[in-house]
This record gives sequence, C-alpha cells and structure tokens, in this order.
Amino acid sequence: MKKIINEPQAFVDEFVEGILLAHPTLLKAPGQDRRVLVRADAPVAGKVGIITGGGSGHLPLFKGYVGRGLCDGVAIGNVFSSPSSAQILETTKAVDGGAGVLYLYGNYGGDVFNFDLATDMAELEGIRTMTVLGRDDVASQPKERATDRRGVAGIFFAYKAAGAAAERGDSLDQVAAVAEDIIEHTATMGVGLSPTILPTTGKPSFELADDEMEIGIGIHGEPGIHRGTLETADEIAEHLVERLITDLGTATGDRVAVLVNGLGATPLEELYVLFRRTHQILEGKGITIAKNYVGEYATSLEMAGASISLLLLDDERLALLNAPAESPFFREV
Amino acid sequence: MNGNELSQAIQKCLVVFTEHADELGDLDQALGDGDLGITVSLGAQAAIDALQLLPAESKPTEVVLACAKAFANANPSTMAALVAGALLAGSRVWADTETITPDLVNTFAMAASESISQRGKSQVGDKTILDAMFPAAEALRDIPSGPERLDAAIEAAERGVITSKELQSRRGRASWLQDRSIGLQDPGATAFLRFLQSWKAANSPARTAVS
Repeated sequence: MKKIINEPQAFVDEFVEGILLAHPTLLKAPGQDRRVLVRADAPVAGKVGIITGGGSGHLPLFKGYVGRGLCDGVAIGNVFSSPSSAQILETTKAVDGGAGVLYLYGNYGGDVFNFDLATDMAELEGIRTMTVLGRDDVASQPKERATDRRGVAGIFFAYKAAGAAAERGDSLDQVAAVAEDIIEHTATMGVGLSPTILPTTGKPSFELADDEMEIGIGIHGEPGIHRGTLETADEIAEHLVERLITDLGTATGDRVAVLVNGLGATPLEELYVLFRRTHQILEGKGITIAKNYVGEYATSLEMAGASISLLLLDDERLALLNAPAESPFFREV
Repeated sequence: MNGNELSQAIQKCLVVFTEHADELGDLDQALGDGDLGITVSLGAQAAIDALQLLPAESKPTEVVLACAKAFANANPSTMAALVAGALLAGSRVWADTETITPDLVNTFAMAASESISQRGKSQVGDKTILDAMFPAAEALRDIPSGPERLDAAIEAAERGVITSKELQSRRGRASWLQDRSIGLQDPGATAFLRFLQSWKAANSPARTAVS
C-alpha cells in the first residue's frame, strides 16, 4: 500500500482538519466534534436545512456539497462507515433555522439505521425532519425494486436541486418533494477497473484481474452485473448509457443532464472520452444534453473507474440545476 | 396513574435499576463494546434529574418524553437512541391522555417494542433486547388488571433472557462474535428484565408501605 498518509487511524480527522483550514469562509465545525461540519453561516433563519452524511473516502461526496445552494451540514463517518446518530443529531441542531431539516443521503444500511435514530432524537428536540434516500444505482437492483437501490454519484443532482429549492424559501415538504422527484428521475451505472486500498486495513475493496473490468460495481466494491475483459471507452459508454436510457424510459425529444464521474484514479481525459461517446449516443437518439458535468463528484479513494448518471429534465429541474451554488468543491455561478 | 404518579414511580424504579449497571456493563463487555453500564447509569441519573424539574401537573406523555430526551443525551450510543425512539413511539400512543390504564400500558409496550424492531431491523430471536421486550408486552395483554400483570411480564422477560442465551447474536457489534456469542447472556434483554424487576422492587405495595 502506497498512500500519502500519517497514522491510518488519524486519516479522517486529518483530512477534515485540512478542509476546515483551507475553507474557513465556507465551512465550520459548530462544536467540539470535527466530524460535524456545517456551512459557515449556519443556521440560516427561516430556511429549510439539508444535511447529508455517510462514510469517508468519497470526496467530494459528502463534505464537498456543503454550502450556499447545496447542503447545510454533513455528519462524517470513518472510511466507508456510517456516522453515529449522535453526530447526525448534532448536525441537525446546528443547521436548524426553524423550518425543519431534510436528511438526504445514500441508501446504505448503516447510514439508514443511524439517520433514522437521529430523526427520533431530533423530534425530541422539537426539530421536524424528513428523509429522502439517494438510490440511483440501477445495477444494484432491478427497476421493480428501485426503492432498494444503493445511492451513488447521482445524488449530486438531488443536492443541487433540493439545495436551490431550500435557498429560494421552499417549505420542508416542498424541498423533500424536489429531492424525491430528482431521485426518481436519476439513473447511474458505473464501471470498476481496480480497487481502492482501505487505509486502516491495507486491504483492497475488491479483487479484479489486470485485464478485467466490472460493470455495475458499487462504490465500496459491491458486486456488479457483468465482469469481463476490459472493453474500449466507447463500448463501456454504450453499455452504461443504453442501460440508463432504458431504465429512465428516455425517448426522442427528451432533455437530460449528464454526469460523467471519476471514481478516484481515472484521469479527466478518460472521463472526457466517455462523455464524447455519451454525447454521440444521446444525439443519435434525439436526446438533448441540456446540462453536463464531467469530473470527480463521488469517488472511492483511489478506485479506478467511472460512472455515468442521467437526470431526465423538465423546466423546473433544469432551473434548479442552474441556480447559483457555492461550496469548497462545487460552484455554479 | 396520572403523570405525577408515573414520574414518582419511574424515579423510584431508576434508583434501583442503577444498581444493576455494573452487571450490565460486564455482560456488554463480553458481547458488545462494554458501554451499556455507563449508558444505564448516566442515562438513569439524567432521567431522574429531568423528572425532578418537571411540573407536578405534567401529562404522562410529557413525563416519558423528558425521560427519552435525557436518556438519549446522557451518553449518546446506539442503545440510548433506540430506547429514546421506543419511548417516543410509546408516548405517541398516549397522546394527551391524563390517566394511564392497563390497556394503555399494553399499547405503549407494544409500540415501543415495534419501534426498536423497526429502527434496529431486528426481530425476536436475533438475541437483542426484543427477546425480553416482546414476550413481556404480550404477557401484559393476557391479563386485564392487578399486580399479576407485572409478575407475568417479568416471568416472560426472564424466559426470553434465558432462551436467548443459546442463540447467536445477529445484530450490532455482538454479531461480529458469530458463534462465540452462543451461551453468553444478552445485555440488552437483561437490561429490560432488570428494569421490570426494579419497577416491582421499587413500587410494589409492600416496599412502598415500608419506605
């Protein structure tokens, strides 16, 4: 294992400390626990708060999407482990501006468990919460079990839209409805080429032969739907995009937003090669890309691979994507 | 029983219950992360302190919510959060009621058990607190009134504690032990049993008459 780290156990606290030192005008730790970060001006009076959270190792997910027009706070777990319910409650209290708090995070057992416990404790504190789960990974469950799907990079669209809705003054029910609407119209699928090594154990997150790829693999190495010899970028894009179009029921004349996301060790150049083919495929079907994002939005430390997300757009969704936002890792002017 | 009587009964019960903190901590040391003793002792004291600040005319629901909040915040742990959520679920059943009847105790017990089951994604047989809670809640439903109700609940909870000793832990940190958890007594189920026994010891007529 070759990593630029100090004590493996200190990895999370040290990179969080670095983020706080680098972005003091955007983020703050409201209490003693550095695993609870909120936007610098939190709580914003009268505004619905949005908090997210989950395991570390996915930057810019989740901490990177705390800021104006995005989430208000994040509860940070160890690498690939859920934050505690107490940390989620602390985050909730720190962002509550009196209009309630939306919990928006990926559908993973440990996270659901701890966020659900926090909903009860928040209620005891007199804070109303609602929950919307990111569940965009189409490879993790078939369409008829879409509510059991895992959440991956596509949750970015929900952060962006729900964050914009909260910023313009929507109620908690309205912000939750926006997030739910986005999740329902988002589909993501990924391909993995090589695993990440967990800092604390030194072990790979999954095993894959040198010449192999796995389509549909999860961001913690959860099994995908096809393992085989590595294909060309164009072939990979075709596999992924075809599946996404089918899942969303996208047809000629539709508009979409596209997110081509790197998983950590795949260069931007390769992501643009994937975007090129994605654009060709969609154009060929008469589907317009009205908004695109290419880069690292949800990673798995140094895992090699990429994912493609599609969001079926309407005027409302597009307007929310285009609204201004500012966080340490994402800006929309 | 009105809100003030409930508050007094809980406080007396928790004083006795705290005497079991070391036993519960030891059981949890063997099967979990060992913090149950602290959760119980700090949580019980925090609940007592919170109840002493409540006005005497508080409703039963307000009494329970004060306990839940104090317990959850005293030593934030998964167990504390599960118990607080259970109390919250139970209190929803009581709503604005002024007087607790045996029927309302039954629905509270069932709602609290179901909350832990749902939040913890656990059922009877997973070797958790539910192995004592559900049987006790069911035993209560079989007896309409009288002191036999508590005796029956204690007996059912005790059976659950004993039966679950031979089971393998399927939830929480204890599940990491896999088959090594077999034969060990579940600290959560034991805690619930000790709570019921403490209630009886602290609030049975004989004890009240003496004290």
